[in-house]
Amino acid sequence: MKPNNNHNSAPELPEAILVAENIQKTYGNRKAVKDLTFTLLAGRVMGFLGPNGAGKTTSIRILTTIMEPDSGNFTVDGTSSKHPEIIRRKIGVLPENLGFPRQMTALEYLRYFGQLYSLTPQEAKANAFRLLNEVGLENRAKSLIGSFSHGMRQRLGIARALVNDPVVVFLDEPTLGLDPRGQQELLQLIQRIAREHHTGVILCSHMLSEIEGICDDVIILSSGQVVAQGPVHSVVGNIQRNVARVRVPVENVDASLEVLGALQNVFKVSHNPQMQSWISVELADYDASITQNEKTRNSLLKALIQAEIPVLSYEAEGGRLQDVFLQLTEEVIK
Amino acid sequence: MNTTSISEKDAQGHMADVAAPKGRVRPAWWLVFTREMADLWIGGKALNMILIYSVLLGVMVYVYSYNSELSLIPPKEMVYEMLKNAMAVSLFIGLVIGADMLSGERERNTLESMLLTPARRGQIVFGKFLAGISPWPAALIIAIPYLIVVSQGDEVLGPAILWGAITGSVLVPAYTGLGMLVSFWSSSNKVSYFVSLGLYILFLVPAQLPGRAQTGAAGQFLQWVNPLAAVNHFLSKHLVNYRTLAEFWTWLISPVAFAVIVLGILFLIAGPGLRLEAGRSSKFLRRLKPRISTAIILAIILLASATPAMGFQTGNTSVDDLSISIDVDTAVVKTGDKVEFNTVVTNNGSSQSLPLIVAMNIINLNAQGDVVDPEDWSPQRTQYSQPLAPGGSVSHSWVINTILDGDYMVYMVLIPAPGSQDTSSHPVASPGIHLTVMPFTRINPGGVLPYAIGGPVIVLIGILVLYRMRRKQIDNG
Repeated sequence: MKPNNNHNSAPELPEAILVAENIQKTYGNRKAVKDLTFTLLAGRVMGFLGPNGAGKTTSIRILTTIMEPDSGNFTVDGTSSKHPEIIRRKIGVLPENLGFPRQMTALEYLRYFGQLYSLTPQEAKANAFRLLNEVGLENRAKSLIGSFSHGMRQRLGIARALVNDPVVVFLDEPTLGLDPRGQQELLQLIQRIAREHHTGVILCSHMLSEIEGICDDVIILSSGQVVAQGPVHSVVGNIQRNVARVRVPVENVDASLEVLGALQNVFKVSHNPQMQSWISVELADYDASITQNEKTRNSLLKALIQAEIPVLSYEAEGGRLQDVFLQLTEEVIK
Repeated sequence: MNTTSISEKDAQGHMADVAAPKGRVRPAWWLVFTREMADLWIGGKALNMILIYSVLLGVMVYVYSYNSELSLIPPKEMVYEMLKNAMAVSLFIGLVIGADMLSGERERNTLESMLLTPARRGQIVFGKFLAGISPWPAALIIAIPYLIVVSQGDEVLGPAILWGAITGSVLVPAYTGLGMLVSFWSSSNKVSYFVSLGLYILFLVPAQLPGRAQTGAAGQFLQWVNPLAAVNHFLSKHLVNYRTLAEFWTWLISPVAFAVIVLGILFLIAGPGLRLEAGRSSKFLRRLKPRISTAIILAIILLASATPAMGFQTGNTSVDDLSISIDVDTAVVKTGDKVEFNTVVTNNGSSQSLPLIVAMNIINLNAQGDVVDPEDWSPQRTQYSQPLAPGGSVSHSWVINTILDGDYMVYMVLIPAPGSQDTSSHPVASPGIHLTVMPFTRINPGGVLPYAIGGPVIVLIGILVLYRMRRKQIDNG
């Protein structure tokens, strides 16, 4: 795999391997991407979030040189976007809808792509076996791809993305259509790729829980523009740092809203129908002492118990990425 | 990929830490070509088409021999018809394969992963194109046994295979390239197939015009400008009517020009701009417009530079004491046989003759003196001579290929070419050749049957062998 030449001296800051600056793309009168600017560090997983039509796929296609931006530029491992053929040698991509030649075996498929990246046939074969082993398909090397399950194809797609030992890997909805176990295995694989190969990973997904679970950084796009970016905990904390969440039975939601809204130190109580029985409670006086905050939070539970409303779940650590996502994308849409 | 910059080398440095390099790095077009070949031939698309093609040829050859009317067609015409149909089907196969090459990959979501590699777009297109024309050699080889059967030993076989190979090798790449261009600009595979089929029919239309329309000036031009019709016309004249290449080479201009234009657009303009979405960016269109204009101007210059009417000449008028003799007076042959004879024109006068034209005439004695069109019978309908000095003579050689059985009178007419509009001349007739043509020997339907059935069966066996080899290849990794 990658020799990791640039990282042999111990405590060193991760290097910036993908730097995008003011990327813009317009389709007719519609701006698909507006001023996309961010930096991806080596060995980190960055989540790319956004509702449908937010510009995620366009952004990925620009960054993978499939499409040209109207303005702006980006560099991959120091190579400018003006040299797309060199960039293609440095990136690996798993597109959202990757098709496979059904009549090829997994080994032939990876060997073919290895040779397209200037490996000799022997090198490409050895590389293919190593990658199949890495993604857990070593026993299916000689099976026709047409006989593979969806999950196996996704793993083969990831192996294909790694065939040139890239410095940045783009994964567009890699867990789509997989069962929970398949999703978990694939996410573990992605994390391993980032950590062991020191590869930067950009992960596009609608599954906010998986982004929250494995991503170090996140970018939230809405209507073509970045509405939030940074480390996941920071984005969540900055947007909803004084929020507690309570889950009650659906039939008690209205009563709970009334009880919690009447409490002191509660700034706002809200219920998003998409979140079913979860109620968000925004606390006032966030700057007060931690003890005061804890008291306020405890009072939420006490009030609900006194009103004989069952508390099914409680999260005192503020909002989740899902709340932030819905809030931010809703604001822009409005 | 051959121009490796420092950054590129850095990028290559990230390659897998595998064993010491063995073998050599293959060019991208070769890799794409071999993969496409496997996809076409092992995937089954080309194999199935070739199987259908061989069945079609088998049926055709059997019908030729079994149907009593068709079996009377002289071998030369049978060979021409067989070749024409084999080529039409081969062109269709090329067009269909080309039409699927890019839009099909888009639809199957396999194009994006290709475009994400460092392979140049032009190389991807070139590799695909080479694979796309691969069915043509197979189609030609399959057609040869059938051509041998219908030729029945006629000497037309060699020229038919030669000119079939040459013209097919011009047209099949052009049609495959055309299909790929349509595929390049089509948003879906369905659109690509429909447009390609429409174009194919469009090229067939001139051949369906009524006979008179085909021989008129506009009809001739339409035929000449249409690459498929032009090739068919050339093959018909050269193989059936014994016309020489020198007489009809101009009919090969439009197929060659068509191939050059289509492949030029494919490789120089469209190919390098291959992208995920159908068509190209506006930047491409801006670049394309002047090139299309140049191509159109070039095509017009080519078209204008040679027309089917090339070679017509005029002469002067004079009347002299002329005679013409023939060295054969009777001949009995079988249909399809060749009759050779010589004529001698002598100027018996005391002054130089006018320029002389000797024209061949054939009269059917069995059909109340119907005139036979010598075009179908001989490569030389007329021969031209410079003026003869007093007492001078000139000899001409003639060949007649007997097309239909019957009783004929062949005679020559010597025509002093009139020199102006207000003068005429006195043609002189030669002695006649009484030509008896015996009936044609039909192909034995029973004898053809092994070819009609054997061809497809051999192709089928080839398919099974290929699948078996593929299975072994998979097992061996």
